Amino acid sequence: MVNLTIDGKKVQIEEGKTILQAAAKCEIKIPTLCYHPVVEAYGACRVCMVEVTVRGKTDLVTACNTKVQEGLDVQTGSERVLKARRLNVEMLMARAPAAEPVQELAKALGIEKTRFEIKDPQEKCILCGLCVRACETIVGASAISFIERGTERKVMPPFGEPSEACIGCTACAYFCPTGAITYEDKYGRKVIHTELHLGPTTAIRVPIRQAVPMVPLIDTEACIHFKTGECKVCTKVCDREAINHDMQDETLEVEVGTIILASGFKPFDAKRIPAYGYGHFPNVITALEFERLVNASGPTGGKIKLADGTEPKAVGIIHCVGSRDENYNEYCSRVCCMYSLKFAHLIKEKTSADVYDFYIDMRCFGKGYEEFYHRLLHEGTKFIRGRVSDITDMAMTQREEGKLIIRVEDTLLGTVRRIPVDMVILATGLEPSIDHNQLAKIFNISCSQDTFFLERHPKLAPVSTFSDGIYLAGACQAPRDIPDTVAQAGGAAAEALALADKGTFALEPVTAEIDEDLCAGCQLCVNLCPFTAITYDKEKGISVVNDALCKGCGTCVAACPSGASHQKHFRDSQIFAEIEGIFVV
Amino acid sequence: MAEMAKEKAYRIHLMVCAGTGCVSNNAFGIKAALEREVKKQGLENEVLIVTTGCNGFCERGPLLVVQPGSIFYQQLTEKDIPHLVEEHFLKGRPVKKLMYTPPKEKTPVPVLSDIDFFKKQVLIALRNRGLIDPEKIDEYIARDGYKAVAKALTEMAPEQVITEIANSGLRGRGGAGFPTGLKWQMVRNAPASNGSLKYLICNGDEGDPGAFMDRSILEADPHSVIEGMVIGARAVGASEGFVYVRNEYPLAIKRMNIAIEQARDYGLLGNNILGTGFDFDIKIVRGAGAFVCGEETALIASVEGRLGEPRTRPPYPAQSGLWEKPTLINNVETWANVPIIIDRGAKWYASIGTLTSKGTKVFSLVGKINNTGLVEVPMGIALREIIYDIGGGIPGGKEFKAVQTGGPSGGCIPKEQLDLPIDYESLTAAGSMMGSGGMVVMDEDTCMVDVARYFLTFTKDESCGKCTPCREGTKAMLDIITRITEGKGTEEDLTLLEDMAHAVKDSSLCGLGKTAPNPVLTTLRYFRNEYEAHIRDRKCPAHVCRQLNVYTIDENRCLTVGKGCDLCRRNCASDAIRGAKNEAHRIVQEKCIKCGVCYDVCNFGAVKVD
Amino acid sequence: MPKLTLDDLAKIREKTKRLTTIRVGGEYRAKVCVHMGTCGIAAGARTIMNALMKELEEREIHDVLLTNSGCAGLCSREPMATVEVAGQAPVKYVDLTEKKIKEIFEKHVLGGKIVQEYALGIGSEKTDY
Repeated sequence: MVNLTIDGKKVQIEEGKTILQAAAKCEIKIPTLCYHPVVEAYGACRVCMVEVTVRGKTDLVTACNTKVQEGLDVQTGSERVLKARRLNVEMLMARAPAAEPVQELAKALGIEKTRFEIKDPQEKCILCGLCVRACETIVGASAISFIERGTERKVMPPFGEPSEACIGCTACAYFCPTGAITYEDKYGRKVIHTELHLGPTTAIRVPIRQAVPMVPLIDTEACIHFKTGECKVCTKVCDREAINHDMQDETLEVEVGTIILASGFKPFDAKRIPAYGYGHFPNVITALEFERLVNASGPTGGKIKLADGTEPKAVGIIHCVGSRDENYNEYCSRVCCMYSLKFAHLIKEKTSADVYDFYIDMRCFGKGYEEFYHRLLHEGTKFIRGRVSDITDMAMTQREEGKLIIRVEDTLLGTVRRIPVDMVILATGLEPSIDHNQLAKIFNISCSQDTFFLERHPKLAPVSTFSDGIYLAGACQAPRDIPDTVAQAGGAAAEALALADKGTFALEPVTAEIDEDLCAGCQLCVNLCPFTAITYDKEKGISVVNDALCKGCGTCVAACPSGASHQKHFRDSQIFAEIEGIFVV
Repeated sequence: MAEMAKEKAYRIHLMVCAGTGCVSNNAFGIKAALEREVKKQGLENEVLIVTTGCNGFCERGPLLVVQPGSIFYQQLTEKDIPHLVEEHFLKGRPVKKLMYTPPKEKTPVPVLSDIDFFKKQVLIALRNRGLIDPEKIDEYIARDGYKAVAKALTEMAPEQVITEIANSGLRGRGGAGFPTGLKWQMVRNAPASNGSLKYLICNGDEGDPGAFMDRSILEADPHSVIEGMVIGARAVGASEGFVYVRNEYPLAIKRMNIAIEQARDYGLLGNNILGTGFDFDIKIVRGAGAFVCGEETALIASVEGRLGEPRTRPPYPAQSGLWEKPTLINNVETWANVPIIIDRGAKWYASIGTLTSKGTKVFSLVGKINNTGLVEVPMGIALREIIYDIGGGIPGGKEFKAVQTGGPSGGCIPKEQLDLPIDYESLTAAGSMMGSGGMVVMDEDTCMVDVARYFLTFTKDESCGKCTPCREGTKAMLDIITRITEGKGTEEDLTLLEDMAHAVKDSSLCGLGKTAPNPVLTTLRYFRNEYEAHIRDRKCPAHVCRQLNVYTIDENRCLTVGKGCDLCRRNCASDAIRGAKNEAHRIVQEKCIKCGVCYDVCNFGAVKVD
Repeated sequence: MPKLTLDDLAKIREKTKRLTTIRVGGEYRAKVCVHMGTCGIAAGARTIMNALMKELEEREIHDVLLTNSGCAGLCSREPMATVEVAGQAPVKYVDLTEKKIKEIFEKHVLGGKIVQEYALGIGSEKTDY
């Protein structure tokens, strides 16, 4: 600890801290311009100059980068200090008349007008170098630097050309204290529609506002540290030292008695239907994207906007995208009709746009759903029955100019129609989640023809699988909406609990066993066993049956070439004895 | 070592000065002519032609010193050579008309050491100038070169070397005069963070206008710098050194490169130097022409390949310098002093100079002075001795007005202080500084306001622009002074100028800004009346600031003496002169743009300036 | 092995020092001045000079200063040379030949004994510097 005096106040502070930090500790304000707590001090603007006396020697130093010393006597507002500070601020006023922080500082110091020549009244840059330092030391890109000398000095990328080293992080603009650096987001809103995490946003964020627990994460694709290895500004400002850039994905092993699979679904990839132009037309978006757009915590704050930021005047919602279609999925995704109706309702509520719903059949089964459909009909949503053939931006009439045209056969009218709209929402269907097949393999469960997980029995055991202790919940088993999922999950939980609560598990009495003496170690049975109950013991060179997994199906027994595999209670000798017994009778 | 070649002796050695000054005055042409003529006279086995570094008496170049006897020939032309060779080298009759004759005297002074310019000089840093071929390491060795390295590496402990340097009282010759021994001790004591790397730098970024001390040493005696650096490296424990030379010194770079190569060939650089197991090597880094890179932290940034701008000290380079390693950085002249101190001992060195400033200092004497050139004088010598005895006084019988020491950031010392002894403290007390050794002499025709403007223009252009006071302040001060020289200055300007000079001095980041106001402050201190004349009377007493001049024609003289020659009218750019041939002329003041052409062209002194 | 030892360094120093002594002055054992005016050259002063150079070179002698001067005024007795052994008065030799100068070099310059039969007299004319 070092003891020093600032303006007569005694301060104690750790060694290695600066005078500026010590002053902040005893709440003495020293003005700064080129200083930023997370960037290494530069000492260029010279407005933080203070008068220090140590060992009888008095000098003017910059508070931002002068380290404290034992017995230092600091004057932050002496005549000598103010004289230098005023002059420096006055000169900066002439250099950058439009820089607000300088104006404020000048006001505080009682300077009304600069006596020096003003070159450019619009100038904002005070050459503090924060942008340059941030780009070099924080971003690690070094895309900009100072060029020229003296009064000609300016911040530039090499040769004044757009720099390849620039990663477009806009850190320079962020650190600029006077707003001298601005940037133009060339891609504008387009960014919003092409990715699920809709930008522009920061690298550290809470991914979804409603997330529980509400913990921020670092997007490694956007984080400067993961691009250049530098930055780590977040660690400097986080008092709790809660940020760890070295954290890696890890595999946890947990021992459990029962497992509930709720691996969910993935939305149908709308790009697979090129005719709908998803990915090509910025205003053709998927249902999930619209959901994010309309969300109050979303990028637009819940306002429904087009890529250019304007409000749509007509919106088309296309049902059954990827569902009920022989080319993609034959099944009905079950939830699309209802969420499409919800969208139509929200659009009507938030905008004055015309809404067109293109449906094959309205599937509003169950309580309250049909009523909602009726309400929508009254609200004025236009329902057109027919499958949309394609979406184009080739206008044929003036009315279609600048619009997206939905071509559809209206099966009720029996004509082909062209509906011009501004925005198209694709009601994408549900598909099993991405690593569905792998999961099936791991848990040794089967999939139905539509690739969803297969339940043990559609009516009698809808949450169980063929593997005991493994249960299904939600859209991994079949397309399902939230109420159904919650209900099924409850059932699965009850089943799982019932089993866990019992504590014991009655094994199948009829299981296979392998005679160690006869087994040749051919491993034929290992590959055949549908329940992965047989493993190969490398040391002994034989196959071994896990009694807990074996269902006694007998496949291995039938296949074993050396006759080493037997079925308990159903040995050959027993069966032959039984047959003999029958003949005796 | 290879078997030594058969020794070839010559009875005459011709030392041809090949410093940059003489080279630009056709020294190599002279050399070629000498070779040609010597061959023609069949003397090639008797006469050896040697190119040496700068002799110092640049005013009189190209120079030739004939040994034995130190006969000094000057201002040679190629057509002098045949006669010279035949008369002197063949027939043994020195040629008087090519010798130096002091101004106002008639008899030439044949021997170099008898010439006033050389008489009062004490050569330590320049001990080998004119005596060796800088491109031959053997000749340096013959002058007891690398003897000090042998001593420092085999007979002395590193601490002893540092003690010796400290006891010698040597101070940094780059300008600030920091005690060299103390600096070395700091670097030796600096804990070498991550690894034991320490670096050495030789600062050869000599940027002061009119200064060429370092260039001259690098050109005339590069090995003395290398030897000093090896000794320094040994003392502080460094393994790699850099010589930072500005790219505007191609000859210095060339000679240094040759010297480094030769030292490597002899194993005086590289691994296991002289079998002592000590490793050290040197690289040359070329500066890109920024004055500020003479500042040590800016220089280090430049070596590292970053933008050459200074940073706040501490940490000092001795603690955290090149690539954040402890770095010993000394000026060329300082390094050149090191070997001789080790060789001859601290006591000997400390016996020269004053109480606080020991040894000698090299100055480049330029400006309004008879003997322009490079001089090395003992510390404590009076300014008067340098200017009048060595420098030969002011040309054209003009009166001495001031001398500017310490380069663009030094100050102007007036006539009243001519007896000021030259040492670090006295110069600082007079408002100037030692600097790297520039000395610009000014005579009565110099306007001191204009001088301040000139140096401010330089520092303004050379300010790196990092800190506000230096970047904006030098510019603002220059604006004010320019205003004053144009006759638009006010009394408030003078106060503002003085205030600013103090504030810029007080709050700038590095030495450049801290000293940039010195020319302003010293001229204000010693020549305030000139500023006041510019402001109150709208007059420039020296008639330098043309905007303040009033040109008139003495009509009587024009008509009677010049017979109305009409030359002025024909040359007037603004058509401000009325009159015709055989008529008296007069100037229409409203149209006069004060270019001064009429004054310059008038052959009869009829144009007056006031 | 280091490239250069302390001994090597000393050797280089000694050798080069000998070759460059004339630049810095120093201890000379003797000074030989060959008079090389037009008359001298016509009478064969060049051969005398060459012979002396050869002697110095072959014997590797570096502490003998060899100079030349203009006409000594005694043109009839050319070639002439003045030998001045350190600490002794200069001696002028006249009517020299290559053989004679070799003898003088060996006996007088190196041996310190004046070769009376070739000598003109002791003493030398003064120069103005």
